[in-house]
Amino acid sequence: MNIIEIKDLSFAYREEFFALNDVNLTIKRGEWISILGHNGSGKSTLAKLIIGLLKAEKGEIYVDGVLLNEETVHEIRRKIGIVFQNPDNQFVGVTVEDDIAFGMENLNFDREDMLNKIEEYSKKVNMFEYLKKEPHNLSGGQKQRVAIAGILAMNTDIIIFDESTSMLDPKGRESIMEYIRDLNKEGKTIITITHDMKEAVNSDRIVILKDGKVLAVGETNTILNDKETLNSSNLELLLPLKLLYKLDEANIKNEKVKNILWQLSLNK
Amino acid sequence: MAIKFEQVNYLYPSFDGSNFSALENIDLEISEKGEFITLIGETGSGKSTLVQHMNALLRPATGSVTIYGIKIQKNTNKNKKIKLNPLRQKVGLVFQFPEYQLFEETVLKDIIFGPKNFGVKEDVAIERAKEVIKLVGLTEEYLERSPFNLSGGEKKRVSIAGILAMEPDILVLDEPTSGLDPKGRDALLELFTEIHKKLDKTVIIITHDMNTVYKYATRVLVMHDSELVFDGNASELFKSENIVKWNLDLPDIIEITNQLEKKLDISFNTKPHNVDELFKLMKGVL
Repeated sequence: MNIIEIKDLSFAYREEFFALNDVNLTIKRGEWISILGHNGSGKSTLAKLIIGLLKAEKGEIYVDGVLLNEETVHEIRRKIGIVFQNPDNQFVGVTVEDDIAFGMENLNFDREDMLNKIEEYSKKVNMFEYLKKEPHNLSGGQKQRVAIAGILAMNTDIIIFDESTSMLDPKGRESIMEYIRDLNKEGKTIITITHDMKEAVNSDRIVILKDGKVLAVGETNTILNDKETLNSSNLELLLPLKLLYKLDEANIKNEKVKNILWQLSLNK
Repeated sequence: MAIKFEQVNYLYPSFDGSNFSALENIDLEISEKGEFITLIGETGSGKSTLVQHMNALLRPATGSVTIYGIKIQKNTNKNKKIKLNPLRQKVGLVFQFPEYQLFEETVLKDIIFGPKNFGVKEDVAIERAKEVIKLVGLTEEYLERSPFNLSGGEKKRVSIAGILAMEPDILVLDEPTSGLDPKGRDALLELFTEIHKKLDKTVIIITHDMNTVYKYATRVLVMHDSELVFDGNASELFKSENIVKWNLDLPDIIEITNQLEKKLDISFNTKPHNVDELFKLMKGVL
């Protein structure tokens, strides 16, 4: 069953300049989908439309069967959590603990429940010992983990990661990717927004946006096989994939090497 | 030598009254000409603290940093006798989130703010703005726009233009490409390469991207636990066993080459620098 359905969605920040143009997309419950595209392709705009931070010019968004509009936006936000790109822009609390509580306070959780959840989820993201600390003493990766704890505590069905790893060092990046994998295994619907193909290959399906339009959508394997689409996407091809294409073009056929390069492309 | 660190230590005060060491016994020399340096190391290793010593934004707790002949120590400039402005014009520093530094109502005003501050006449500064806006890959039309309506990548370019307009000898950039897509990242790195080669300036970049390090750097500095643990070239660094200890990745090209060598049980005489070189090596064994 589809948890998100997007129909003929268009949005313009300026007149005549469409950041999104007639986007159609369905996202299945429990799947992990990556929205991949260059800067300015409309990825983040799409995320903001889905959580109702922006209002579409045209088109409809259904979340869990409910049409998104002014009356339903609050109900819908209970179903979707979002982790943004810059960890500094989403810290609202004075301490780590306050920050995790913030989302729950907005949803009127009772105090006892809230305290239990703060403990549970700060432990889950390995930040329990930092609960009384102030956010500016944390690394970028730690801040993102606190943001994730806050979202987990709200127990939303869908979590959007909007370039959440792009400002982290390799270690921070890997730790966030691990949480995403686990969350998806636990049944959450995951939407990762990225321009990094290395990150996108972890998901079940990939949507490629280009200049506000859906260039391609499909299973990760299928998309990686679609040389023409990838070449026209303005994205950087994965290195093993580049080599694979080059060997193909030179008519060098070696199944073993092909297989290895394919596995390396898929990060395996 | 443009910048010379001698036994520099730096401490940040913690809230519990103790001190947290961010730099330990740093010795380092940087020339004003022709270096393309990447400064790497995990979050919290001291990279940003190090570069803030390069234009006297921070002063060492012990030791000294000599910048263009002016020796900066712990108590230097307590009475403001030394003018630090000329140093800051010579060593231009772009922070990690330069977009936060934009504050004027137009891009033009933002770009000419720095040069005017260093005594450049307004009409000269405006001419420079027209040049640098093109250098960073934007058009003159941008000069009249408000910086707040620009995309993240555009804001980054504008803030870099502002530093270029000051005509520094040494350009230091704290993670200039983080958050940019590959195309935007490459465009900026090509720009820095051009500045480095054509204008013969030294460029210092903080980055987490090992592909950038391998492709562009003439010299690599590695910070680990507040110490400068490596100062040399990239090929040497990525051969070192220490990269695991320092929590560094390998560049994709080396990683993939290593994997191919292992899985095919072969070994190449050289390490390729790009996919074309790897393709040639592969063609030779297939």
